Amino acid sequence: MKIIVPIKQVPETSKVKMDPVSGTMIRTGVESIINPLDLYAIETAIRLKEKHGGTITVISMGPPQTMKAIREAIAMGCDGGVLLSDKAFGGADTWATAYTLTLGVRKLGGADLILCGERATDGDTGQVGPGLASMLDLPLVTYVGKLELAGSGKFLAERLVEGGREIVSVAAPVLMTVVKEIGVPRLPTLRGILRAKETEIPVWGPADLEADSTLIGLNGSPTRVVRIHHPQVTRTGEKIVIKEQSNVEKAAQSIIDFMKQRNIL
Amino acid sequence: MGKYQSITPPILKELIIIVGEKYVLFNQPEKIAAYSHDEVADPAYAHMPEVVIKPASAEEISQIMRLANKYHVPVTPRGAGSGLSGGAVPVCGGIVLSVERMNRILEVDKDNLVVVVEPGVVTNEINNAIKDDGLFFAGYPMSVESCYVGGNIAENAGGGKAIKYGVTGRYVLGLEVVLPTGEIVQLGGKLYKDVVGYDLLHLMVGSEGTLGIFTKIYLKLLPLPTAKADLLVLFPDAETAMKNVPLIMRNGRIIPTAIEFMDQLSVQTTCKYLNEELPYEKAGAMLLIEVDGSSEQQVEQEYETIGKLCEANGAIEVYVALNHTTQERVWTVRRNIAEAFKVYSPIQSLEDIVIPFAQIPEILPRLKDLSQRYPVVIPCYGHAGDGNLHVTLVKKPELPIEQWSEVEHTVLVELYRITKELGGTISGEHGIGSKRREFMPIVMSPELIQLQKQIKSVFDPNQILNPEKIFPEGNSGGSK
Repeated sequence: MKIIVPIKQVPETSKVKMDPVSGTMIRTGVESIINPLDLYAIETAIRLKEKHGGTITVISMGPPQTMKAIREAIAMGCDGGVLLSDKAFGGADTWATAYTLTLGVRKLGGADLILCGERATDGDTGQVGPGLASMLDLPLVTYVGKLELAGSGKFLAERLVEGGREIVSVAAPVLMTVVKEIGVPRLPTLRGILRAKETEIPVWGPADLEADSTLIGLNGSPTRVVRIHHPQVTRTGEKIVIKEQSNVEKAAQSIIDFMKQRNIL
Repeated sequence: MGKYQSITPPILKELIIIVGEKYVLFNQPEKIAAYSHDEVADPAYAHMPEVVIKPASAEEISQIMRLANKYHVPVTPRGAGSGLSGGAVPVCGGIVLSVERMNRILEVDKDNLVVVVEPGVVTNEINNAIKDDGLFFAGYPMSVESCYVGGNIAENAGGGKAIKYGVTGRYVLGLEVVLPTGEIVQLGGKLYKDVVGYDLLHLMVGSEGTLGIFTKIYLKLLPLPTAKADLLVLFPDAETAMKNVPLIMRNGRIIPTAIEFMDQLSVQTTCKYLNEELPYEKAGAMLLIEVDGSSEQQVEQEYETIGKLCEANGAIEVYVALNHTTQERVWTVRRNIAEAFKVYSPIQSLEDIVIPFAQIPEILPRLKDLSQRYPVVIPCYGHAGDGNLHVTLVKKPELPIEQWSEVEHTVLVELYRITKELGGTISGEHGIGSKRREFMPIVMSPELIQLQKQIKSVFDPNQILNPEKIFPEGNSGGSK
């Protein structure tokens, strides 16, 4: 089985500060990591490989330092990777990104299974995975929380949808986006890191991909960020203060009442 | 405790004159209760003060001490109350003197790499204030986000990074101290070397609030490391794990920032509690090793060396955490051990023994033996790099609570005797306080205890400052 996992490198959000004036992230000095939700796609791929064999290739579009993310994915257990990197790719929206990744996947010869994270923690759109499926003309199964390869050679994917679970039987080739429930990502091992260091990772630019220059990067992006604003927080709460030990039960009761009134309990 | 005078209305009035009414808590049991205990879980170790006072300067503290001597009222100094030996608990009642208002960073001397602070500064805030200058204070107790630096010095706090950076005392260059009799003295300053007279500065460090109250603290700073990496190493058993600790330093020629040890019981209970999916079942012990440095290349070279060494010496697997998320994940296992056992049974005694670190494998079967002979569960974890182990006595849920204190006492005595036999002692960083004073004779000779009581009496002839601490009861209080 040939698996491709597209990943994105994002800023480590637990340490990110927002610029109060522009409303954008202050990225200087912030550590870059694999998009945490992509780790679930990597983990899923490795588990499938451990059970059924195959190869896993990670692909990412980004600046040269994205190499670090690709090596980390290899350290976790992926076999190889490819980086799509060139100034011309810069400023791409989700459409241009999906287009560029499509060319990369095609150059890799396609795959039986493409596994994506649900969305990236920085842009938060969740569009690149589905966009890639569309451009590659592949069936798309989103929000997969459980995945098995059935005896028939078809995938059995359990989707977490509003109001329940949906089990989809689908044949390769297919693109899926996975959610956290699929399994906790493993930590990289030292052996993995040493192997990743030795792995040659090709870097492909627009010429390698034979990309249409009007469809990549900022120029190829039909959407633009024109304004960022912060939503007003409308949630309100009620503060219950316990002044004396004897009031604990009373306070607990008022929390219960509070929740009952709002149909939480 | 009949030997001290209670707080009378005239004394209270004088205290109010010194610090102002707003900063004296009296007759407000619900507010005062917060000053009756530290982080020792067992409420039996708590004791209510009669009054809590919050001075703002050395001069005020000096006046309070003179007043306390005049009326013979005990004074217990208090930082954030995050201690683990009852050091800040006013066991004789009287006054709790909280330094919470003295929380200013007075000076960052970038050219001498020194910071001057008041005792009520939260330790982590020092580092927040100087990190943009590329500096840091290397004292690192595990409670770094809540404890006060004054308490760190009074307890000579250690923590997880002591193997590389040493304990708090290494960084104390100077102190302004109010003596128990009220004099204000300055010990040391910004000097990196100073051999004039006895080293009274370091007599103050670790004196557990019994010899003086620190009002100004001069700390030595270090260049802030810019890169770090953590290794979580799984071993088949504790002996194999511990065999690697000297090898890392001797053969690897690296002093890691931290080497934390977790025995099988700690690992399994905590991983289950956290729903951690690491393959912990196959591990008989784990080491959590951190390296830091001034470049990613240096750190990479060091963790590779250590990891390869461990692999060549019996490690089952070496996991590497290179970013904040994965580093938090591996440290979460270590940090949640106490919490995980509280879910199993909230009644426990957190211990702080220290032994030569190569002896750690020897103590483990002894602990197992104790847990087989008594109704206690004994997880063992802690700072493998310096032999400081937080052995914890956890009451088995089936043991009736009324029998606990007797069992606890019996097991503690045995534990401390084993510790002594292996060349260790009963506290590495938490201190003796009130919790361990009765056990001091197990590890310290009567002559040494007497000598220290005499030192105490020279500083505090009326036994006013933090009485009934460190030294066992009876057999005279020194010169008195």
